[in-house]
Amino acid sequence: MALSAFLKVENISVGYGATTVLDKLDLGIGKGEFVALLGSSGCGKTTLLRTIAGFAKPFVGSIQVAGRDVTQMPPDKRGMALVFQSYALWPHMTVAQNIGYGLKLQKRPRGDIEARVTEMQNLLGLSGLGNRKPGQLSGGQRQRVALGRALAIDPEILLLDEPLSNLDARIRLTVRHEIRSLQKRLGITAIHVTHDREEAMVMADRIVIMNAGRIEQQGTPEEVYNKPASPFVAAFMGAENLLSMRAKLQSDQIELVEGEFNAAAVTPQSGRALTSGAVDVRFRAEAARLARSGDRTVLDPGALELRGQVASVSYPGGHWRHAVRLGDHEILVDANSPFDQGETVKVRIPAEALFIFNTAAATADAQPH
Amino acid sequence: MQKRLLAILLVLPALTMIVLFFIVPLFASIVGAFEIGDTFGLGNFTKSFELYSKDMIFSLVIVGISAAFIGLFSVAIGGYLILGENPRAVALLRWLYRWPMFIPFIVVGQVMRTFLAKNGLMNNIFVSLGLLTPLQTVGFLDWRGIVIAFVWKQTPFVTLLVAGAMASLDRSTIEAARNLGASRLRILIEIVLPQIAGTLLVGLILSFVTMMSVLSVPLMINAQSPTMLTADIAFRINAHGDYGVANALGMISLLLTAGVALIYLRQTVRERS
Repeated sequence: MALSAFLKVENISVGYGATTVLDKLDLGIGKGEFVALLGSSGCGKTTLLRTIAGFAKPFVGSIQVAGRDVTQMPPDKRGMALVFQSYALWPHMTVAQNIGYGLKLQKRPRGDIEARVTEMQNLLGLSGLGNRKPGQLSGGQRQRVALGRALAIDPEILLLDEPLSNLDARIRLTVRHEIRSLQKRLGITAIHVTHDREEAMVMADRIVIMNAGRIEQQGTPEEVYNKPASPFVAAFMGAENLLSMRAKLQSDQIELVEGEFNAAAVTPQSGRALTSGAVDVRFRAEAARLARSGDRTVLDPGALELRGQVASVSYPGGHWRHAVRLGDHEILVDANSPFDQGETVKVRIPAEALFIFNTAAATADAQPH
Repeated sequence: MQKRLLAILLVLPALTMIVLFFIVPLFASIVGAFEIGDTFGLGNFTKSFELYSKDMIFSLVIVGISAAFIGLFSVAIGGYLILGENPRAVALLRWLYRWPMFIPFIVVGQVMRTFLAKNGLMNNIFVSLGLLTPLQTVGFLDWRGIVIAFVWKQTPFVTLLVAGAMASLDRSTIEAARNLGASRLRILIEIVLPQIAGTLLVGLILSFVTMMSVLSVPLMINAQSPTMLTADIAFRINAHGDYGVANALGMISLLLTAGVALIYLRQTVRERS
């Protein structure tokens, strides 16, 4: 992948003044691929996008597009177009002028510009709005104008900086699919910055999860969701329940040592890089199952069983969410029917839903890859 | 009823001030413009136009040219402050450009007089640099001197407004244009300027009114004919005690500035609709 990458970011370090935001970062993106840069605010994802776009200059490292070094090139010579979070439409220009401005700068004949602008308006469902000013449009329409302006110049790479964060929640859901299908139809390479996990999941071919200026993990939505490579990724992808346990490794098996709230459990190592010692066990609320304390069903092989009391029950929609108390902390577990408050329950977590990592102090010499 | 009385009482001091020191003198001056001896008529105005129509045009042209230069320079400076890529040069310019604002017009007039005269500092520098011989030097103490003084004094004020408006623009509108390949000059003219045009217009109109009312600069730099209306008003009063024509001239300059203010009002109404 890294060798044949269409867009190649190699060993770049970027910062503002004395602070380094990105440190020796590498990233390769294939032609026609839709990549989401996912992370919480301040993780450097927008800085990475702006560096690729040419608005921030790296201290070291290089950026290449189709084998061409663009590191020192101005933004417009890189074959990229950026859609800004605030849309950055020019309020004094009409929709048509906004979309056509890039073509005007390229000194295209007026007829060509008009044809292309009409094409863009039709493509994006903006027909008949060409003479409106951005101030007279709805949020969703503005977003599409911004997209049209970027696409009008026919860029090789489309850069999207949280383009949906200013939209109403309901519109956002449809625009996600619109952008994704448009990208597929045009076969354009796209990099999408977002802090919304679900947005990244439904839109991207590949998700790049960033944390503190580094790439924590990259892979298909399915991979990062089901095989998080670090505690950060596991937590970011929704495995918020955290248990501190001890593990013993023996011949491809992990034994989770018996504790105050759990019996000993043995689960397959399945390629996890672990050492014996203190571990953090993470899992999602929806991956665990609740059972009554009298339930005698046999535990699935490799599953972990916990005992606790239901502390509270709520209904977020679709399922019941239970806060289950284990000693002095609580975990969240979903179930299809409610359990009573105060009831003693069993929480069963299947082997594939367990994310096990050595606790921070122990990971220093055994970095998971 | 009592409440209303209290409200009137509260407004009264301010209202008295305005009536006493603004409306009454203005009204007296307007009335005075039509007074000829004991009767009323347009005599003062016909006399004004006979004697000073050239100066009216001169005033308008001088102030108009000055305003054009002020607009040009303030946009250029403001543009460099926001689009400049050399941080040190930007910081230096930001620090420098405001100084003339704190210098009174009379001092500006005096400074320019010693600087722009035929044997003034500017020509001395040109001569000592070998660019001109002493015989080739030309004094600028005419309409050009007034324009230079006005531009020098008023550019910082308009720049302050313009640069403030530019700084509060959404920066990504500038980056979006750069992203599509616009040069810095094009960004300034096609992206930044249209977005701050209203502020620029307000600054220029305020400057226009200020320049129309400056007496010291035309007196110090260009006391010959034609000169600006302010100098004529002072002359009518000081030399002839002719308050009638002075009032008429005052009303004419009021109408000229009112014309500019009208453009401004129309613009704001159009922007709001």
